[in-house]
Amino acid sequence: MNILFDIQFALRSLKRDTQAGELRVLALSVLVAVASVTAIGFFTDRVGKAMVRQASDILAADLLATSGTPIEQEIEDYAASLGLTTAKHVRFPSVVINPEDESQLVAVKAVTSAYPLRGALKLSKLDSRDVMAPLDTQAPGTVWVDAQLINILLLKQGSTLTLGARDFTVERLLLFEPDRGENVFELAPRVMINDNDLESAGLLGPGSRARYTLMMAGEPAALTDMSDWLKENQNHVRVIGVSDGSPQMQRALSRAKRFLGLASVVTVLLAGAAIALAVRQFALRQADASAVVRTLGASRANVVTWLSLRLLLICVAASLIGILVGFVAQLLLADLMKTWFSLALPAPSWRPPVIGMLTALAAVAGFGLLPVIKAGRVPVMRVLQRDYSGLQTNPWLTLLFGLVAALLVVWLQSRDILLSAIVVAGVATMLALFALFGQYLIRGVRMAAPARFKLSVAGLQRRTASSVIQLAAFAIGILALLLITLVRVDILSAWERDLPDNAPNVFVINIQPSQVGGFSQQLESQKIDISGMYPMVRARLQGSNGEAATGRRTRWEYNISHSDSLPAANTLVEGEWWDGSETGLPGLSLEHDWAEDMGYGIGDTITFKVAGVETTGIIKNTRQVDWESFQVNFFIVAEKRLLDDMPETYVTSFFLDDDFSTATASWARAFPGIATLDIGSIITRVKLLMDKASMAVEYVFFFTLFAGICVLLAAVQSTQGERIRESALLRVLGASHSQVRSAIIAEFVLLGAMAGFLAAVFATVIGWSLSRFVFELPFQFNGGLWVLGIAGGALGIGLAGYLATKKVLTTPPVVALRHT
Amino acid sequence: MPTTSPDAPIATHSLVLEGRQIEKTVNGPAGSLTILSAVDIEIAAGEVVAIVGPSGSGKSTLLGILAGLDQPSGGSIAMLQQPLNRMDEDERARLRAGKVGFVFQSFQLLPGLTALENVMLPLELGRNANAKKAAMQMLSEVGLADRAAHHPLQLSGGEQQRVAIARAFVSNPQLLFADEPTGNLDGETGQRIIDLMFALRAEKGSALVLVTHDEKLADRCDRRLIMNSGNLRSA
Repeated sequence: MNILFDIQFALRSLKRDTQAGELRVLALSVLVAVASVTAIGFFTDRVGKAMVRQASDILAADLLATSGTPIEQEIEDYAASLGLTTAKHVRFPSVVINPEDESQLVAVKAVTSAYPLRGALKLSKLDSRDVMAPLDTQAPGTVWVDAQLINILLLKQGSTLTLGARDFTVERLLLFEPDRGENVFELAPRVMINDNDLESAGLLGPGSRARYTLMMAGEPAALTDMSDWLKENQNHVRVIGVSDGSPQMQRALSRAKRFLGLASVVTVLLAGAAIALAVRQFALRQADASAVVRTLGASRANVVTWLSLRLLLICVAASLIGILVGFVAQLLLADLMKTWFSLALPAPSWRPPVIGMLTALAAVAGFGLLPVIKAGRVPVMRVLQRDYSGLQTNPWLTLLFGLVAALLVVWLQSRDILLSAIVVAGVATMLALFALFGQYLIRGVRMAAPARFKLSVAGLQRRTASSVIQLAAFAIGILALLLITLVRVDILSAWERDLPDNAPNVFVINIQPSQVGGFSQQLESQKIDISGMYPMVRARLQGSNGEAATGRRTRWEYNISHSDSLPAANTLVEGEWWDGSETGLPGLSLEHDWAEDMGYGIGDTITFKVAGVETTGIIKNTRQVDWESFQVNFFIVAEKRLLDDMPETYVTSFFLDDDFSTATASWARAFPGIATLDIGSIITRVKLLMDKASMAVEYVFFFTLFAGICVLLAAVQSTQGERIRESALLRVLGASHSQVRSAIIAEFVLLGAMAGFLAAVFATVIGWSLSRFVFELPFQFNGGLWVLGIAGGALGIGLAGYLATKKVLTTPPVVALRHT
Repeated sequence: MPTTSPDAPIATHSLVLEGRQIEKTVNGPAGSLTILSAVDIEIAAGEVVAIVGPSGSGKSTLLGILAGLDQPSGGSIAMLQQPLNRMDEDERARLRAGKVGFVFQSFQLLPGLTALENVMLPLELGRNANAKKAAMQMLSEVGLADRAAHHPLQLSGGEQQRVAIARAFVSNPQLLFADEPTGNLDGETGQRIIDLMFALRAEKGSALVLVTHDEKLADRCDRRLIMNSGNLRSA
């Protein structure tokens, strides 16, 4: 026997296979699995990259290296050698003077022409607020200024500003600076100049407090390489990556990824279940053919080869179509998403289709190999005596194969062996529980059923084993759909609640203690609600537990606040809040993750230096901070006595509905020194990201729904042969067409309702755990789930059952009895 | 019927099938059950032998064991001078390929293949390069050339059995096994099928072992063996 004949023979059977119900379901399941894996793969790949890019906007680069001294050429050279594109900026405080001789402290940023590497500046002329496009580079001798400075110095288009040793022309209003969020507490108004003008203005003398930054963008591998190199070899440089940027963006991003990951794992598992059912049915149906060809001289190996080849061919053909469907699906979506992203989506990679194909092969091989081998070993005597046993597979071996296949399939999706093991163990437990409860449920229904449902209940009774399998399959299918609905609706809306429409979009900092009252009144008169005025002291870290801090830690400045009570939107993780009666060292409260990063624990002492004076506190507790709330929050909050007599300023945040520069126009003059920051654009971007994530979840849900339908079809299909024989017998014995039909429909409705009930119970438990532990969002009991589960299960499975068993009714009894 | 030890050498070359002291016992719920006890049988080349007997007497079990589809619990069988009972299942399958034909009561055509492909199967398993041509010719001989591209379910019972007969004879087998070949057919169709089978057998010179209830059919055979409660005797 040669391989050519094997392939020919497999192909020959395949023609007819396409008309066999179970193989259609198999092909459909493979198609759905591959299409979903591919589409989700393409989608998360491309959108994930785009999301990271969007997050990069906040840095205006993918990676930053900052230092108090000019960035060495060596660093730039290394970045260039890795193929990274670079830009530079220098930030420092200075003073500008207008023609009326009024001066103002400003935050100067001198940028090279490539700035920004990610995101875009929004500029306009001072006399017209139309955004300039395309964005031009900065001409030498010009300055770009923000609205705050314009309001303070009453600047006009073309006004002259003196900065350092030379005059500059005011050319543009800076409407939006992508990386302003990175230094959101930079106090003074912004003045941006061309890097080439630095020297002629004589701005950077020795001892000037400048911060030099090298901005880098490029491929992830090169960025990782650069980041590692910097951390290892350039100790004086602070490295900031996308993941070190805005915590709000980070959390939104990781949640979005978790949503997608969960949905795709569920989809693949569902399709896997459908494949398992269909492939087993296929092998069962091949038992007779196996006996016949072996009677005619074929070996067991031949039979296994042919069956495997047929499965392989179906798998490959369906996978290829699946890849195509997945590709087209993501194209459509990418097109839709283009309008959401400010940048073109990165090109899709080759990985998703390969993963898709591997997933299909793993599922078909894992679930199909054992039944196929068994089909190859079916006793040949079946050709003469049908009562010779058919496919008897060892249940433990089947379970082992199934688990390994499921593990492989989930691992291909998640690349996380622990997560895969947990998911597979969870699903296996669930199936076992469904089967266990299903038995009792069927027994209960059997006893309670009214007389007119006797025929349907009798059906369940006759096939207890397959009814339990069907029930478990239906329940797992419905459960997955309910869960995805739950995740989609409940968790997404909880997420939206996290960031309300009136989240603070303006921060005001540098409010002097003497200005607090007046400024509060000013806001009140403008009908602006504030969350509170928080004291803030700038401090440098000196050391901990009596030891001096070393390295870069000493150069960092922290904003420390003091409070008598736990700030709103904060929760205590460890320790207790102080009540004011304590003596000894004043208490400190640290943000939990930050404390962990720094290696600080309760009882450690930390020494800060504020305006040249050292002060030491003891860590009393750690807090979890909800950064997504956009409220004023601090990494370090101290007991008031730590900061007594220290120079403090106040900070507040609020939601501003009106135009930022109009609303804030008068403040700068009335309250000299205060700085207002518009963070509305950051909020908008986080919201945009959430919207995108919701869309993605909706989209993935569509595939999950399809996979769920495949499971239902496969489960219905698995008893079709038995049903055809039974209904033929019933009809021969005098049952009418409609009697048989109602019996079948009622049986499926009953199964569907029972499966829906079981699924709703488990969906509620799992939904609660997911909200609580994975997405860290409050859980809301959803009564709709129960209605959806039970009614939807009864209706959906009743309909699916009826449609799929139409053949049962249309097959003439004589044909059914002769051929099955 | 001579009675010899199971290990006696098999030397009669004109025999295509020779069974000695064939035993078959199975373990049932009520303990061990003897289905065949010390059956001896010899089939000469070209001979036509009917095995008759009541239902449950062990006819089909004997046929299965003689054809190498099942193993006996004791005794020896030589098929085409090969010791069947010392071969494993795949070796027995290889021995049958292209040399042994089957006609079953339930036709046993592969539903996935066309009539032509079903007939080609034994030739292909025996690595015959001209499988298609020979199969087409065989189909013509059974009068189904125009049905070559049909699948079994598109054919009537009589047509299916004719395809099965074509498949059985296409490789010019030395030995043919038939199990109630007319059991699923009406009288008239059954008669035509039998006529066809006997005509082809005569043409090919194959030995035929036929299990049947049909006395008229048994009468057409060279020899008749009667199976009763696991014992075989000549009529």
